[in-house]
Amino acid sequence: MSEAANGAERELDLGWMDRTGPLETRAEPGKYGLTIADISIGDYGEAPEASDNLTGRPRGAAARPASYRIGAYPVRSKNDIWLDNASFLYEEALQRQWSSATDVPWHTIEPLPDDVEQAECQLATFLTEVEFVAGDVPARWVSLTTPDFYEPRQVLLAQVMDESRHMDVFRKRALANGGGLMQATGATSGFVGSIDLSRDFTEMSSRLHVSGEGSVLTLFRMGELMAQNEAEKVIYRLCAQDEARHVAFGVMHLRYMSETAPERREEIHCYLDEAEGGLIGAANPVGQLTPTSESMAIILGGGKDHFDDGMNKIIAIRRRQLQEYRKRVISAGFGERFENGRSRVAQMIEEAA
Amino acid sequence: MARKPAAKPSPPKQPAPKPAPPKSAVADEKRTFEPKYNWMNKTRQWGVRVKPGKAGLKLGDLNVGIYGETPTQWADQSRNPRGAVPRRGMPPVGYSIRDKAGLWADCAADLYEEAIQRRWAPATDVPWDTIEPLPDDVEHAVCQVCTELLGYANVDIETITGWQHQMSYGYHEVKQFLATASFDAARHYECFRKRALANGGGLGLEGPGMVNRMILESRGGWTEAVVYLLLMRGAFTMTLYKYLGRHAHNDAERFIYEHALADKARHVTYALDHLKYAMAHADDVLQVVRTLIAIGEGGLTRDLRDPVLAEALAVIFAGGVAKAAGRGMAVYGDMMRDYVATYLGYCRWLGVPRDPARLPPPLNEYADSTDTGA
Repeated sequence: MSEAANGAERELDLGWMDRTGPLETRAEPGKYGLTIADISIGDYGEAPEASDNLTGRPRGAAARPASYRIGAYPVRSKNDIWLDNASFLYEEALQRQWSSATDVPWHTIEPLPDDVEQAECQLATFLTEVEFVAGDVPARWVSLTTPDFYEPRQVLLAQVMDESRHMDVFRKRALANGGGLMQATGATSGFVGSIDLSRDFTEMSSRLHVSGEGSVLTLFRMGELMAQNEAEKVIYRLCAQDEARHVAFGVMHLRYMSETAPERREEIHCYLDEAEGGLIGAANPVGQLTPTSESMAIILGGGKDHFDDGMNKIIAIRRRQLQEYRKRVISAGFGERFENGRSRVAQMIEEAA
Repeated sequence: MARKPAAKPSPPKQPAPKPAPPKSAVADEKRTFEPKYNWMNKTRQWGVRVKPGKAGLKLGDLNVGIYGETPTQWADQSRNPRGAVPRRGMPPVGYSIRDKAGLWADCAADLYEEAIQRRWAPATDVPWDTIEPLPDDVEHAVCQVCTELLGYANVDIETITGWQHQMSYGYHEVKQFLATASFDAARHYECFRKRALANGGGLGLEGPGMVNRMILESRGGWTEAVVYLLLMRGAFTMTLYKYLGRHAHNDAERFIYEHALADKARHVTYALDHLKYAMAHADDVLQVVRTLIAIGEGGLTRDLRDPVLAEALAVIFAGGVAKAAGRGMAVYGDMMRDYVATYLGYCRWLGVPRDPARLPPPLNEYADSTDTGA
């Protein structure tokens, strides 16, 4: 029996006390508490340009030469995933978590005319489906990223949580008012160029965060227009808050990539070309006539009898989506595509009018 | 329903027409559209009206009628929400986990809602201002333990996120619970790093990593990962949190360990429920789990033979290096006995009892000699 097990004293080695990261670190909480930004001090705040960390070691900890190489992380270059405001986005995500069970005033939902309820349920079915993608894909990339870049990983983990809540809130909405789920659209299946199949993080982020979630964000911000009751208003408002963080992640990452890896700019433009091709497609609930956009038209118009009114509102939303997309891409540092004729977004805005 | 405008008669022959004005010029015109409405009435069950209970409208409340049917196999490889009408002809997304026995736990929906209700934010909920300077040796030890716990949280994150996307949506409750579990792990990663850097110390030496490797190499399926990550490592981490909470130096540490323990308890609850379900509903899983446990104990003991974690814990438990070898290691021994008893209890409950005498050393040394394992 070992000395520890039988209670006898054993001689301690204590060699680990001399094998540490930098000491005398004293991070102080600020007015928002002790945030990740507050602990990014000294060497602990320095994320390497290229990570050689294959053991999953926390950034700044002392390496143990005998440790197993457990992480052959494909994402090991800082510019592959980094963004400058990850700490802020993560802390905000933690502060703004909400519960679909208790924060939504479900009792405010009243029976709706059958055509409107069917439309609500079709939209909820679609949103449940697309939120599935937005949860699955970031999770996969987290597992592929070195912990040396833990700040963006934390934001992506918060996103997975957010998307999980969105999935459940739209399922709840579909089953709360005398309706049910309707037909899935299949818009998120594994097509070439889809979010799922991206082979590179920035490629995925431009499709998921900038174009995909950007379009959904515009929609959620129209919640006042779409909602039939206070519960739906709250749902759209809270989802929009979450979605805004995800879009900000994508924009800020593209900006960082643009500034630090200019050799990849042309490649990024190709991803944006593809993303723009799908901006008004079946994956967009206000895209061209699809089951989801028809249901949106009924919701926005107030019933089948006002379908055209609803469609005109859809066109206004689509125009706004495209304008906001353009602003985001300009903010990310890729605005020249709107000047040099590469992007069709201006034409799409024109056509939407 | 809107109708198309009647076709206009052809204009008389004229010189080449001027280019049409940009469409924006006609934006104010009333436009008409021709909807198909071919999606309407496509539902497998209509008339569902789930009402919120006293704890709100919970995920599990939605499991009514066909929406609560969770088949033993989920053939659909699209993102068709359970209960929705599938759309045929969609290219598959490619999920590898499509058997209910591969992931299910009846408690997943409840654990999901509980995790959301019990959320906490390390930045603002931990009373960081209660941390006072500690003797150098104790601060060193706290930082070393935090470094190890960061490593554990990292493996939680990488393992769970590596499996989540492989799980099909017929069992969305489990995927949603795991989203909370990986988010919990993110919070643990964050708060142990914050603790290590908040009081004049820094990070210590990375862990030996044998168990980390074993967990991440669970290629046989999610159930295998659950055995290593949530049952064996999970029970060990829970025990660590419990003893660290008892020996916390301030309210900040107490808060962290109490809350991390509550989070981890949910993960272990899922693990036990899932393993029980898997063993009851799939051939051979009981034998496989028994084998995995035996292999896992070997990996665990290799990490436990490394002195770093044990010594750092002993320094904390004894309040300094001076009494670490005696009093500190005695508490460490108590902690290990607690862990082994808990672990053996879990194995017994699952129907894979372990004979304490046959546990590999040093685990067997902490087992209760009167425990027959039955």
